[in-house]
Amino acid sequence: MWKILQVAQREYAETVKTKTFLIGLLMVPVIIGGIILFASRFAPNQGGPRPPMKVQVTDLSNAAWPSIQAAFDQYNQAHPDRKVIVEALEAQPSADAVQAEAKIRLRERRIDAYIVLDRDVVTGAGKARLYTFKPTPADLERLWTIEGQIQRIVVDERCKARNIAPEVLAEVRNVSVERVDIGSTDQAQRVEGRDVIGIKMMIPFFFMYLMFMGIAVMGKDLLNGIIEEKNSRIIEVLLSALSPFELMAGKILGLGAVSLTVIGLWAGGAYLAARWQGLPIEVTAGLGVTFAIYYVLGFLLFSSILVAAGSVCNSLKETQSLMMPFMLVSIVPMLAWFRLVQDPHGTLARTLSFVPPMTPMVMILRLASTPDIGIGEVLLTITLLGASVLGAIWIAAKVFRTGILMYGKRPGFNEVVRWLRQS
Amino acid sequence: MARRMLMMEAIRLDQVCKSFGDVRAVTNVTARIPAGSLYGFLGPNGAGKTTTIRMIMNILRPDSGTIHILGDESIERAKARIGYMPEERGLYRKMTVAKVLRYFGQIKGVTEQDLVRRVPEWLDRLDLTAWANKRTEELSKGMQQKLQFAVTVINKPDLLILDEPFTGLDPLNADLIKGIILEMRKQGRTVLFSTHAMHDAEALCDSVLLINRGKVILDDTLVNLRSRRRSHTVCAEMEGDTGFIERLPMVTAVTAEANRMEICLADTADPQQLLRAMVDRVRIQRFEVKVPSLHEIFVDLVRSSNVEDPSSRPA
Repeated sequence: MWKILQVAQREYAETVKTKTFLIGLLMVPVIIGGIILFASRFAPNQGGPRPPMKVQVTDLSNAAWPSIQAAFDQYNQAHPDRKVIVEALEAQPSADAVQAEAKIRLRERRIDAYIVLDRDVVTGAGKARLYTFKPTPADLERLWTIEGQIQRIVVDERCKARNIAPEVLAEVRNVSVERVDIGSTDQAQRVEGRDVIGIKMMIPFFFMYLMFMGIAVMGKDLLNGIIEEKNSRIIEVLLSALSPFELMAGKILGLGAVSLTVIGLWAGGAYLAARWQGLPIEVTAGLGVTFAIYYVLGFLLFSSILVAAGSVCNSLKETQSLMMPFMLVSIVPMLAWFRLVQDPHGTLARTLSFVPPMTPMVMILRLASTPDIGIGEVLLTITLLGASVLGAIWIAAKVFRTGILMYGKRPGFNEVVRWLRQS
Repeated sequence: MARRMLMMEAIRLDQVCKSFGDVRAVTNVTARIPAGSLYGFLGPNGAGKTTTIRMIMNILRPDSGTIHILGDESIERAKARIGYMPEERGLYRKMTVAKVLRYFGQIKGVTEQDLVRRVPEWLDRLDLTAWANKRTEELSKGMQQKLQFAVTVINKPDLLILDEPFTGLDPLNADLIKGIILEMRKQGRTVLFSTHAMHDAEALCDSVLLINRGKVILDDTLVNLRSRRRSHTVCAEMEGDTGFIERLPMVTAVTAEANRMEICLADTADPQQLLRAMVDRVRIQRFEVKVPSLHEIFVDLVRSSNVEDPSSRPA
């Protein structure tokens, strides 16, 4: 055990002092923070100037055009660098002929949009049609604005035609539903806005992502370390002092400790940042403990598999192909996270919880989304995962022992099975 | 510890075999390496030396046969008492010299207290003190080799196994390492080293184990070896007419240079017969039966082994 700790200590010390580690440690939060900042600063509604958008309108109802013109004049005054120029188009000689010509102009990009208001759009249930030609994502925001303006104007005109004051309608439609989380005590009671609900959805994702990043980043370091030791021929010297199992266990333990440090710092940083921003983050001690258990078991499972696979490779390039299955297994909970969070007791969630490579990510997702997961299910998944870890370590130790001293051609599957049968 | 080991065999190999696919690398190797001896493990390239050493170190497992090391069947229990320098050298390139030495000391079970003393001691002894805080990748090949040697001996091993320890060293550094090896032997430690440089083995070893094509063809002390392998060459210095010598029936060839002659005798001839034939006819100043060098013995044995066993495949 002492030797395992010595190997682990070296792995830890040599990993955390490298520049790549520090860069990786800082880069992830910097990139995520940067993306959030970029998204909030440069969201489409706060974007820079755009060329004016030309829109022609055929108002067959003959009731809405003045309001449309007034509304867009007002809009253009408020947004001088992203104007929407509206122009009335009489239905002469016929609505169909005008429409056909407008479509030609649209295709020739002489106008950006064409609107037709049905004859009964104000008096009956007629429609407003907005024609465009292959709009770009940059146009979408102003097209939504146009849609909103037209909708509002038609509602106003309909109200006038029916002698309803638009303010009354707005008042009638405005029903505010307040969601209150009563908490465990009355003091803890609080109103939950949409942002809080959003955060509640994101916390499970954050936990799962943290787990994925911790395992993926360290898995890569683990493979790099093995290849370096193999290529620098240091293995024989190491094996003269250590058993292959001690070497393997030390490496896994050391890098496991590094990954716990990394995710601890990321999680701590994220928590402090959320508090600083006043976001209500609630993480119970129980969730922290179960996260740690699932994380450690998940790390052991994946790292044992990677150690075994890495030991039979001779170059980093070869190991890259071995990371692929890990990525594929991890991607399933990533893709299904929304459904798993919304339905943590569903068949999909329960089934994936019992597939050992997915157990840690799926279970932490479920546990972070609802406190109602039964203790029995938690213990059962931990037991199954623990048994898989023991099996993976047993296999890894056998493969590692032979693979680490092999150079040249990578052994085939049958040869690896033969190693498992030996000794 | 060293005194107790004198009573036992440091390494014992019994009928050890190892094949790689169809290639038989080692066949029925049996050997006893006495504790406290300095044993040379000789053989041509590909003879099976490294494979045997790797099996001793449990890096490879024998297909059959048994290996006892320091009186124990499990090398895992004896690892802390062994220093092993493999043929393929390897160090952590990004670690500093002192840290590498310290780390290997730690995993070999050297106490913290001893490491504080031994690390600077060995660095000083091998002229590496100035490089203590440099990364190993910055060292020359020879310096890396010396550091590798320090790594091997940092735990003061009872048994030292060195695979081609002098390869890549300049004569000065090779002498430095040889001096340390001899000193360790004086302290009662066992040293087994493989080489195909015969002069190294001749200068250092008490005994040699010669292996060819995976089989032991010789295992003896150097003294016994020399005394048993009688030479058929005589070096003589004399005055007088020496023309009769090459006509003697026991003489097969003569090389003369001034008054010095090198006389080759027939296989069945006795140098004493020659001496008797010469003593009445010339004035003898020097008469020496040439002792065969290890190099000659090696070449002779390997050649005859190859002739006797042409079917064996090289490892």
